Amino acid sequence: MDDQQQYHLISGREQDIRLESRVLEERLQEAVSNGHRRIKVEAFGQHGIGGRLWRAGNKPLHIKVVGHSGQRLGSMGFSGTRIENFGPASDDVGWLNAGAEIIVRGNASNGVANAMAQGRIYVAGDIGARGMTMTKQNPRFDPPELWVLGSAGDYFGEFMAGGIAVICGVEARTPGNVLGYRPLVGMVSGRVFFRGPHGGYSKSDARLMPITDADWQWLKENLARFLEAIGRTGLYEKLVEREHWQMISARGPGDKVVSKIRSISEFRRSVWNKELGEGGLVGDLTDMDMSPVPVVATGIFRSFVPVWENRFYTPPCQASCPTGIPVHERWRLVREGRMDEAVDMALSYTPFPASVCGYLCPNLCMESCTRNSANMPPVDITRLGKESIRAQPPDLPPAEGGKIAVIGGGPAGISVAWQLRMAGHEAVIFDMSEKLGGKMSSLIPEARIPADVLEAELERVRSVLPHVHLQQRLGKDDIEQLKADYDFVVMAAGTAKPRTLNVAGKGATIYANDFLAAARENRIDAGQKVAVIGAGNVGCDVAVEAARLGAKDITLIDVQKPASFGEERRMAEAIGAVFRWPCFVREITEQGVVLESGEVIEADTVVVSIGDIPDTDFLPGSVDLEKGFVKVNSYFQTSDPRVFAIGDIVKPGLLTDAIGAGRKAAEAINRQLQGGQPLEETGQVIDSSRITLEYFDPRITSFSGLDQCGANCASCGTCRDCGVCETICPQGAISRKQGSKEDYEYVSDPDLCIGCGFCAAACPCGVWAMRVNEPLE
Amino acid sequence: MQTNAEITASTLSIKDLPWQIAWSMEKCTLCGSCTAVCPVNAIEPAVFRKRTVEAAINASLRPVSGFKIYYGVRQRTDPAYRCVGCGMCAMVCPNDAIMPYRSDEPDKLRFHLNRGGQAQRRGGRRNSPGGLLDQIKFTRISMLTDPALDAGRHEFELRTLLGRILPPEENMKRLREHGWIPPVREIYPLIIGGMSFGALSPTMWEGLQMGIAYLNEEMGMPVRISTGEGGCPPRLLRSRFLRYVILQIASGYFGWDEIIHAIPEMKVDPCAIEIKYGQGAKPGDGGLLMWHKVNRLIAAIRGVPMGVNLPSPPTHQTKYSIEEAVAKMIQSMSMAWRFRVPVYPKISGTSTALAVLNNLTRNPYAAGLAIDGEDGGTGAAYNVSLDHMGHPIASCLRDCYLNLVQLGQQNEIPLFAGGGIGKSGNLAANAAALIMLGASGVQVGKYVMQAAAGCLGSETGRCNICNIGLCPKGITSQDPRLYRRLDPEDVAQRIVDMYVSFDTELRKIVAPLGRSTSLPIGMSDALGISDKAAADRLRISYVV
Repeated sequence: MDDQQQYHLISGREQDIRLESRVLEERLQEAVSNGHRRIKVEAFGQHGIGGRLWRAGNKPLHIKVVGHSGQRLGSMGFSGTRIENFGPASDDVGWLNAGAEIIVRGNASNGVANAMAQGRIYVAGDIGARGMTMTKQNPRFDPPELWVLGSAGDYFGEFMAGGIAVICGVEARTPGNVLGYRPLVGMVSGRVFFRGPHGGYSKSDARLMPITDADWQWLKENLARFLEAIGRTGLYEKLVEREHWQMISARGPGDKVVSKIRSISEFRRSVWNKELGEGGLVGDLTDMDMSPVPVVATGIFRSFVPVWENRFYTPPCQASCPTGIPVHERWRLVREGRMDEAVDMALSYTPFPASVCGYLCPNLCMESCTRNSANMPPVDITRLGKESIRAQPPDLPPAEGGKIAVIGGGPAGISVAWQLRMAGHEAVIFDMSEKLGGKMSSLIPEARIPADVLEAELERVRSVLPHVHLQQRLGKDDIEQLKADYDFVVMAAGTAKPRTLNVAGKGATIYANDFLAAARENRIDAGQKVAVIGAGNVGCDVAVEAARLGAKDITLIDVQKPASFGEERRMAEAIGAVFRWPCFVREITEQGVVLESGEVIEADTVVVSIGDIPDTDFLPGSVDLEKGFVKVNSYFQTSDPRVFAIGDIVKPGLLTDAIGAGRKAAEAINRQLQGGQPLEETGQVIDSSRITLEYFDPRITSFSGLDQCGANCASCGTCRDCGVCETICPQGAISRKQGSKEDYEYVSDPDLCIGCGFCAAACPCGVWAMRVNEPLE
Repeated sequence: MQTNAEITASTLSIKDLPWQIAWSMEKCTLCGSCTAVCPVNAIEPAVFRKRTVEAAINASLRPVSGFKIYYGVRQRTDPAYRCVGCGMCAMVCPNDAIMPYRSDEPDKLRFHLNRGGQAQRRGGRRNSPGGLLDQIKFTRISMLTDPALDAGRHEFELRTLLGRILPPEENMKRLREHGWIPPVREIYPLIIGGMSFGALSPTMWEGLQMGIAYLNEEMGMPVRISTGEGGCPPRLLRSRFLRYVILQIASGYFGWDEIIHAIPEMKVDPCAIEIKYGQGAKPGDGGLLMWHKVNRLIAAIRGVPMGVNLPSPPTHQTKYSIEEAVAKMIQSMSMAWRFRVPVYPKISGTSTALAVLNNLTRNPYAAGLAIDGEDGGTGAAYNVSLDHMGHPIASCLRDCYLNLVQLGQQNEIPLFAGGGIGKSGNLAANAAALIMLGASGVQVGKYVMQAAAGCLGSETGRCNICNIGLCPKGITSQDPRLYRRLDPEDVAQRIVDMYVSFDTELRKIVAPLGRSTSLPIGMSDALGISDKAAADRLRISYVV
């Protein structure tokens, strides 16, 4: 070469031994330090030749490399360094190039320009895999350039972050695809000019852009320079055909639109439903709409639906009243200021609203009152009962219906006759007593009820009901005759026979009912000491009467814990009667009662009060008995369909039991007379948990009057018309609809209601209930 | 509770319950949303009485006692209406005024969930968070020892094979002689495990299937899904999507007459047939679809009358031994598609799994074995089965794989592992661990429910009421009010998201191992665990 003298020669071999890359590098650096600016390197595969030669300063430095350059030719090259490699180059030409111009007059293998940031690399042939990868563009400098005459290898331009690559496609190793397999994955910046076909590139990272005039101008100018550097200027005319060139540039973060993906909705419409048919997977099996519904939903999509169950359930007071008086309705009338109606209403249910509800009844209604569940006093019905002494009987319908004979003028008989008469039937009471009233008038001590109250109510009864005063006991024939003369016969004769004690000396005793009847007329002397065998409520009455007659030392004994309760028990205890149990009687002597234990309870009078049993001798054979009592069905019909039986003859019970039995039997008879069938009782008692007692003042421990009682009745199951549901409904779904006259109802609009249950929770009366919505499928 | 009410042995207070509702009077706006959506009626609106006392000690004033009413939300304490912690109340509350909290101590409720002698049943998963799979680490990070791979940049072959793979010489021989070559499917190694149409709602099922079809047709991922035992909708059977479906047959044989009727009209073969013998969540226990879930749709697909209980017995009635069961069932099912479809059994994880496997190795038609470990999920099972029965998947799978290695057949019979994969959210890590322990692929169910449909269940007793058809997300309900809360398109989209992200994570695991040309099945030298006993048991590295 003619310029041999001008180039300082550094050989990579010394005495036939290859220099280590470290030694060659030292010698190269030393030569530059010594002022050499034209250096020729005879390479033997040494690493990184031509890089890092900053000691050249601003003066151009020209390195010629002959032989086999090793890996990373010109790596970390500096601006001003020009490296010319005469022949093919190994991997990573221009790695981390920071400004050098590197010319490869042949092919370059993998990794050309990897991480290049400045400078130019000119390759006169093809490049291997991963060229122009991870390149940079520092804003302080011009962008780096890679020029390739042929084609790029696979994975070209991965993570390219700047610079310009030009692939000319001349004599390409892969003429069908000058950009190689999977180029430009992860490209974020820079441009690639190329000439020739490509096999696809990462469209999510890069896109084809039109070549502008300025681009073209730049390309033409620099193309000439490239061709000159690699000594192929003859190709210029062939390459400056603008339409042969294309340009790819990186997408910015803003337009990194992922390759167009079909949306799921679009897929469902045009692929899924198209293949399966309209309606999709189960469109052939159901026509149900499957479109989404909200979680908090209204209408048919609610989980729960409020139901206004006004008067749907029986309140506990009414349910527990054997007579069946709707106590809560009476308190409603009180609340509404309709006191007369509240009082009169009772007579539809009982002929003795004052005597029984006000005095003689243990008031099961109060015992079951919902208020008890919150430790609040039950509403006091005895006040309203006592008030009922002034109740006026309703105008009677003409007695044009059936004819019924009632045997027995006690509370049961009077009740059934009373009800039948009010229903327009003729009911005649047959009784041995001169006066109606049975045990009420003959046995119950006056201490329990003022005589005038009972008399007034009995007078009210007498004014309504005819009474046949029997002079002798009825026989079987008489009953058959009555059956012939009347449509129905009701047995209400009570228990006429005392239950007897089977011990020695029982003759020295007196039966409780005989004692009470005699005591009531003050025609018995009980003595100082009285022993009562049987400590039930009748026994208590005996004790109270004995005390009234002057007895001081009264003992009631029983074989078990005494069953007495209520007013009777309280009064007996109040007069100082002693209750003892268990006590088993061995015999009765003059001293009194001798127990099995040998103990003697001294007594001047021994009263046997262990219950009564019916006298059934007069009953016809068609009426079946059970354990001495008459057997009846749920509406008090005996085995003889024309004969009913009520009261103690069926089962000993409370006055209210007898009155209730009379009412039910009357109802059954009435229905049969009208050609219907008796109805079984169906009224279901309201669940007390539905009642909201929190509204009531817990500080009230007793009631001052009827108004306060009415106000504190929870009205279980019956709307108080307070409007709290309408107010609390968060959806404004509830409204009050006024009907004709007094009728009204609260309704919930299904289109607004979400089924939250606030109405049901807030309702003081438990009228609203939440029901599971109807199944949809 | 009423102030003077009696208490019984089972009377509980809020303190005794596992989930306790915290309600703020201050924040509550009384909108009723929470009580409207509570699936189990655990909360109810209520009226409260608040007593006030105004003290006064001066002679001129007297202390005053008064009270006022306020409205709010109350938690019920009756075990029948216990809060299940689903948190739907919190989800719908506009003011964040309500939220269930976990009790600070073990609850007392658990002692009372057996009223009437009825042992507790529930759906969901084993109440035991975490697990061994989460402890396994991938300790082989190649960097320089193998070709450095980049999960984001490189291409990976992540597909696996489902089917009996013949040894090469045998395969060549049969090719030459035109003999029968067992069918083999190239599929994605993450399979959606069997969840029946019936256990799942129609919207959930359609969403899953649609997502799978999308992944196959739009994303090029050959994902497969098992039908579970409940038949397959007739339209799907007659569509090209059937290719993506593994039809399951189990002891109830529900829906199979419809499938048989569809065979002549099928456009494509199903991916495979899975014969279910056991379920990891309730080994040895059968299934029961309650009559109230058997509506018109379910009845049509299962080929049964509406409104009847559908029991799947614990065992197939006409099989008396493992040899017979496997031979008979695999023969029958293979024959149905003229031996073109792979047929494999699925068993619950058990210490007797090797007996099953050894049988399969001798059966030329067996296409693989799926094993469902103790952490598998279910729509309904006895609590005792869920919490105490079953075998952990890792060691069961590992034993089976090493047994195959001993027989030299590890590349011939693929093993599929299921049960608790991704239970703590580590789907790809758990799946990769099992693959490297020897699984050719994994089956997931619960993860899918959580990721694709927002299932609220947890391993600490949250929700898990799939069995009573009241799923508040509409995933396991047959009530349109509930299942129409779920949009199948959302489910499908989430399935796609789940698979695409799983794919990335799986690459992130296998790339550093230097594996890109095949799934690293059995590459257990890449695994380590800091538990010495577990390391010894699984024969992987003990690393601390």
